[in-house]
Amino acid sequence: MVQRVVDWVDERIDLSDVRHFIAGKGVPIHAQKVWYYLGGLTLFLLAVQIFTGILLLLYYRPSAAEAYESVQFIVSDVEFGWLIRNIHSWSANLLIAVAFAHFFSVFLLKSYRKPRELTWLTGIVLLFLMLAFGFSGYLLPWNELSFFATKVGTGIAGTVPFVGRFLLRLLRGGDEVTGATLSRFYGLHVAVLPAITTALVAAHLLLVQRQGMSVPIDVEQRAKPGERLRQMPFFPNYVLRDVLAWYIALAILAALAAFYPWELGKKADQFAVVPPGIRPEWYFLAMFHTLKLLPSHILGLEGERVGVAAFGLAALFLVLVPFLDGRSNRGERSPLFTALAMLGLVYLVAFTIIGHFAK
Amino acid sequence: MDSKARTVGVLVAFLGVCPFGAGVALAQTPAGRDTCVSCHAGLPESRLARPAELFAQPDIHRESGFACADCHRGDPGATEKSRAHDGAHGFRGKPMGLAVITACARCHSDAELMRRFAPRQRVDQALEYATSVHGKRLAAGDTKVATCASCHGAHGVRRVKDSKSPVFPTNVGGTCASCHASDEHMRGYTLPGGAPLPVNQFSEYQKSVHYAALMKADDLSAPSCNACHGNHGAAPPGVGSVANVCGTCHAVFAQKFETSVHAQIFDKGCVECHGNHAVLKPSDEMLGTGAHAICATCHGGPDDKGAVAAEAMRGDIDRLKGAIDATGTLVARVKNAGIEVSTQELALAEARSHLTLARAEIHASDAARVDAIIQDGLKIVTTTDTAGQRGLRELKYRRTGLVISLGVILLVVVTLALKIRQLDRRG
Repeated sequence: MVQRVVDWVDERIDLSDVRHFIAGKGVPIHAQKVWYYLGGLTLFLLAVQIFTGILLLLYYRPSAAEAYESVQFIVSDVEFGWLIRNIHSWSANLLIAVAFAHFFSVFLLKSYRKPRELTWLTGIVLLFLMLAFGFSGYLLPWNELSFFATKVGTGIAGTVPFVGRFLLRLLRGGDEVTGATLSRFYGLHVAVLPAITTALVAAHLLLVQRQGMSVPIDVEQRAKPGERLRQMPFFPNYVLRDVLAWYIALAILAALAAFYPWELGKKADQFAVVPPGIRPEWYFLAMFHTLKLLPSHILGLEGERVGVAAFGLAALFLVLVPFLDGRSNRGERSPLFTALAMLGLVYLVAFTIIGHFAK
Repeated sequence: MDSKARTVGVLVAFLGVCPFGAGVALAQTPAGRDTCVSCHAGLPESRLARPAELFAQPDIHRESGFACADCHRGDPGATEKSRAHDGAHGFRGKPMGLAVITACARCHSDAELMRRFAPRQRVDQALEYATSVHGKRLAAGDTKVATCASCHGAHGVRRVKDSKSPVFPTNVGGTCASCHASDEHMRGYTLPGGAPLPVNQFSEYQKSVHYAALMKADDLSAPSCNACHGNHGAAPPGVGSVANVCGTCHAVFAQKFETSVHAQIFDKGCVECHGNHAVLKPSDEMLGTGAHAICATCHGGPDDKGAVAAEAMRGDIDRLKGAIDATGTLVARVKNAGIEVSTQELALAEARSHLTLARAEIHASDAARVDAIIQDGLKIVTTTDTAGQRGLRELKYRRTGLVISLGVILLVVVTLALKIRQLDRRG
């Protein structure tokens, strides 16, 4: 049956190029090949997000008066609404965790080196987009925690040097977090970000398929001159392994959704006192806690502004990594960039943990 | 002499010593050298030095520009004692008894004057005081009774809202107790029946729910002595007015009680069941004919309609309370498992409101009315319980669904793993 459909399509648009490409495509086999699966896993979780997000859209109402009640309706009255919402929430968190793991694996294996600079660039922007998805989506249930966390988060955006005030008003739709903020975040979450993400994912995938998987420098160096690395066929061997990982992720998601449902909490009240322990989602904790630890003034400048500017520079550095790491581009080991990646990883893990337990 | 005429007479006696107009004229000694404080502060005798020391501390009168001579008169500009204390300058020394009331009332009963310092403050304290037991006894010549200074202090007088003031809500009990808990001070005072006036009011009050609210929960609206007895017009509430006094705060209970058969029978109103100073936190155990039931004090036996009604009301209350507890546990269990139950929690809150309403209705002593409220509450609990049970079934369904899904996924994973192995072997 499948063959008949393929033949039918083939007869009309000639898929022979695609078939030949897939048949000829191989994936290098080496000790670090396990990291290759993180990209596919991120893609799978993104697909889950899109699928569950579309279903949630059918019932969600993006207004301060109805948002909370509509989510409440979804989880209590809509058939399998609880499952869809819980999977969407859990998958969002897993997606960011896996995206970070993918980012660090690429960073440490120097897969960004020539000729894959564009793959790195699209990937980094996609990582930032995933964080933006998380930030904008967090507010949508319009509950107490998300409301105040958004207030804090947009407040931090307000300290960005030179454009902070503009950015804060742009995000909030005014001076305060209100229904206008919810409308903006909703538009961002379901239209603007998905549109950019779709284009970038397409470009990222195209580049990966076109250039093939990057082989770590030390694996390349160990290979004898003229020796071709062992490869496994992309289809079906590698694809089946990818699918296997996706199924395991699906099982984890289902178990988390059933046993640890995402709490809805109390409806946001703009006039309520800020509840104690307000903090952003875990993926912003390291940054949040760092800003908290900074002194009020650094070199005569406001500490928080300096911190935000430093994070901005760090983001810019990440974007430029392929162009700064000359040794990797020459196929040589690059211990400085390995150390920087390890430092970033240790910082993120340590400050996230400290931030989680900090009062 | 009727009570109104007597009151006016006593007030005139207090205030007649110095007309209001004189108060306006004398208030606030003109700025200049005031030798009273400088001289008294250096005196070796504590009795004489202490007032100067206290007056220098936070004192509303000093802060408002008043000086010693505004109350004590005399010549504050004199450097010699004989001239400063000269009777020709009206020096009156330490006012005692009626003179204290007169000295304070000179300003505090002068509406025109008080408007300049505390426009919202009442100016009828002296009038009220004249109606109090303290005022009446003072007028009759008893100088042991409390006057203004006994409660507010004479020097170092703080605003009532100052937490260090002896008449701040949390300090009132202790201030009253300084006399009323003293055997020695209260010796000779008797109740209308002739029995000695008890001195355990404060220790009893300390056991009460009112004291706990005021002192432990920092609820400044909770009553202290003055809330029931009055402050300037302090007197025990009359037997017939107890329900009105309690009803000031407990309005619903008082209204219900008014319609009750007990309203006609109870001499002391609310006090009959709840006590007066040691008002304990009421419990459902007070109702019915059990070991701790107050009703059983008067009612008992199967033929006693009161006992039957009390038992019926207690049974109703227990039934709704038990149902709410059981359904509450069920709802909490479902909620802990992650199922949305805010509607059920809201319904339980409504059922609890019915329980509260029923507890208030008890004061009308009408079992049928209590039962009607309880039945409404039980209907809500039954509906909520059904929803809770549905939640439990949903939970079971979710877990079963998860197990089946995981089984299918595991099967696919194993199949895929086998297929991958087969492909790898094939090369």
